[in-house]
Amino acid sequence: MLNALTPAAAAAAGRPRRPFRHWRSALLLVPFCVLLALFCLAPLGWVVLHSVQGDDGPGFGHFREILASPFYRLAFINSLYISLWSSGCGLLIALIGAASLRRVPGRLRNAVVAFTNMTSNLAGVPLAFAFVIVIGTNGALTLLLRQWGWIDDFHLYSKGGLCLIYTYFQIPLGVLLLYPAFDALDDDWQQASALLGARLWQYWWHVALPVIAPAIFGTFILLFANAMGAYASAYALTTGNFNLITVRIASLVSGDIFLEPDLAAALSVLLTLLLVLVCTVNQMLLKRSYRAR
Amino acid sequence: MRADLYHRLVVAALVALLAVPVLATLAYSLAGNWGATILPDSFSVRWYLQLWHDPRFLSAFGHSLLISVATLLLSTLVIVPAVFVVFYRFPALDRTMNLLILLPFAVPPVVSSVGLLQLYADGPLPLVGTPWILIGCYFTIALPFMYRTLADSLRGMNLHDLMDAAHLLGASTPRAFLLVVAPNLRTGLMASLFLSFSFLLGEFVFANILVGTRYETLQVYLYSVRMTSGHFTSAIVMSYFVFTLVLTWFATRLGKQESQA
Amino acid sequence: MSYVNVTGLARRFGGTTVFENVGFSLDKGEFVTLLGPSGCGKSTLLRCLAGLSRPDAGRIVVAGDDITDSVPQRRGIGMVFQNYALFPTMTVAANIGFGLRMQRLPADDIERKLATVIDLVELRGKESHYPHQLSGGQRQRVALARALVVEPRILLLDEPLSALDARIRANLREQIRDIQRRLDLTTLFVTHDQEEAMILSDRIFVMDKGKIVQADAAETVYTQPATEFVARFMGSCNLLDAAACTRLFGHGIDGHLAIRPESIELLAAAEAGADDLPATIRQHQLLGNVIRYQVESRGTVLLVDRLNRGRDDLLPRGSEVGLRIRREDMREVG
Repeated sequence: MLNALTPAAAAAAGRPRRPFRHWRSALLLVPFCVLLALFCLAPLGWVVLHSVQGDDGPGFGHFREILASPFYRLAFINSLYISLWSSGCGLLIALIGAASLRRVPGRLRNAVVAFTNMTSNLAGVPLAFAFVIVIGTNGALTLLLRQWGWIDDFHLYSKGGLCLIYTYFQIPLGVLLLYPAFDALDDDWQQASALLGARLWQYWWHVALPVIAPAIFGTFILLFANAMGAYASAYALTTGNFNLITVRIASLVSGDIFLEPDLAAALSVLLTLLLVLVCTVNQMLLKRSYRAR
Repeated sequence: MRADLYHRLVVAALVALLAVPVLATLAYSLAGNWGATILPDSFSVRWYLQLWHDPRFLSAFGHSLLISVATLLLSTLVIVPAVFVVFYRFPALDRTMNLLILLPFAVPPVVSSVGLLQLYADGPLPLVGTPWILIGCYFTIALPFMYRTLADSLRGMNLHDLMDAAHLLGASTPRAFLLVVAPNLRTGLMASLFLSFSFLLGEFVFANILVGTRYETLQVYLYSVRMTSGHFTSAIVMSYFVFTLVLTWFATRLGKQESQA
Repeated sequence: MSYVNVTGLARRFGGTTVFENVGFSLDKGEFVTLLGPSGCGKSTLLRCLAGLSRPDAGRIVVAGDDITDSVPQRRGIGMVFQNYALFPTMTVAANIGFGLRMQRLPADDIERKLATVIDLVELRGKESHYPHQLSGGQRQRVALARALVVEPRILLLDEPLSALDARIRANLREQIRDIQRRLDLTTLFVTHDQEEAMILSDRIFVMDKGKIVQADAAETVYTQPATEFVARFMGSCNLLDAAACTRLFGHGIDGHLAIRPESIELLAAAEAGADDLPATIRQHQLLGNVIRYQVESRGTVLLVDRLNRGRDDLLPRGSEVGLRIRREDMREVG
């Protein structure tokens, strides 16, 4: 970083400032900016503008409508419920897995990381189908468990089923995000704490967890945001019949009936604000962690 | 030794957990008939034969490949010079760029597609329903990965020293970039391209909402045949999975080369 | 009966033996250095004493307790790690007080002990700093204080000075030795730096390929190396094989003859007697207060150190000189 800055700084000090000195170089940024504007900034801008666009002039009518409607409130609650549960469970499994992954021989570790990487690609529609095969009404595992008498029936197409499938796609992401964080743990710390009289759990509680806490929290936020914005698996599994916030947004713009893009925009703004809020809290907590002090 | 065993068991459990859906799908795709029993009755490859002779599947797969390759070509042509210019001429911009490339990452595709659908349904740019809009959207999906990887490579080399040395030896800036800097970016770029490729092949939201069956991609096709035989869909899922497996394998191999270099 | 007794200690990793049949004893309050090149097994030996690595054979007895199978928590051993292993999320005070908190001491006891040890290592005013805000030397002293405050029976130091630059290293060396004497603490210090070992230690254990090859006072190890390895490792040394011996002194030898460069006297050719060796100056090297000559005598090149007394004293290349070597400065090594 510093290295890259110095020549520019030296140049700026050496001659009079000419802000457009590199205008030809700047031309190379134009296609980049155009594409980003057309396919990311413009649609986002449209969404923000139209969320406050009522039938008769600007106003917050759509937001009031959403907040007053039990249907949309339920969509938010369902999305939050599934996202929180799946991020929590996924994070826990990933945490235990990543901690152990660091303790197995290098070759095995590399193979498992590569495998995890591949399964992280199994998401969306293909994942939904895979789950139907395993734990659908006539899935192999459902039949097995039913035969053993462990379950009466399992509804993959319900809240519980969605939690399960979301958790599944959170695990590889969690492992891949958390695994590098464990490299920050120095083996000597555990030994030093043992010599100072600490038990294994005391080491984890007092020494290791505080070090990796920011990474754990950051991973949780990413998993949560990922789950809140997810659409394909739920849509493929329930053909859009489960009331999630992303399913609602999509059906308001591409459904067969009741197209209400402005309302979809308002829902989108609420969803995005929620994600921004969560990320900001994460950033604030991160700043309070020991490294920043 | 006891701790060692525990860690191996945990890792094995993790792998088993992640492998269950994959293995089940594989078994299902190879099963001749698998009704309401726990294990299949017989095995055959006929679902794969049927799949690879289905013109609709082949055309959807072709569409997906075409769109992905076009996107990655466009992204390479646009992002590589942009990153270079940022690092060489406007290093102060790097912070802004890092925030900008987070946007497509942070905004769920469902949200962007609300705006895209309205903006490009008609008017001066009637892109909805055409593959062009997907190429644009997929550019934003590939952007964060590619920018990050390229920026890391550039940060890791002495860009200004390399360029100065090439200039002193008589190369113009574009030639210096092509002959001196670009070869150093190659492995990183390839790794991020393979990674993005597997992401793009799995993309469903944009494809379904913005284009749908008007230019059917692999995922949309997969969704639309959900009512046909489960064995058949399993064969599609496995074909797709093996394909991405190869892609990620290439990506990790290149990534390893990068870290060794 | 010594304070620490180690007998028949062995450690293997897979098929390779790190060390085997290692035995030694330490007296109470003794400062002993384990000296050897990297990979000789000295760090592993230290970790076995600390209980961080399990020996495959042998016993470790401290003050009459057999601690061979104790967990590290119960050994009463303090250790300073090479890279200090300070806990990054804890302040200086929290790092040093960690061991006391693990013992569940009352808060005012902890306060009192903390205050004493912080004064001892001269870190007053830094209590609420975090490790990353400290210099290397300060971190080192935090690590030392953390190991000392729990009043260990033995203090182990694993190359604690190797990450510091020369001036701080010399300073801290003094401080460590000073504290160790004041607390009368039995200390085992691991290093690969022979100079450090000679300055600090009551005794030096020289380790080579998993064996302690010599265990003696610093002067003895230097002047009377037990093996060729020790002679080479402790400073520079002329090692002569049988052929060179025959050429120079007219009689052969089993093994090698070790002669320190500073024990050879350079004489002007005119002063040389019948017992002295005739020689020619080939090269010289300025080492500061010492000039090291490469001198050839009867087809053998020897290193000879002489105090640097100024320009006029320098012997030019090609000068004919005499070499006087006293019988007692020649040592046969295996």
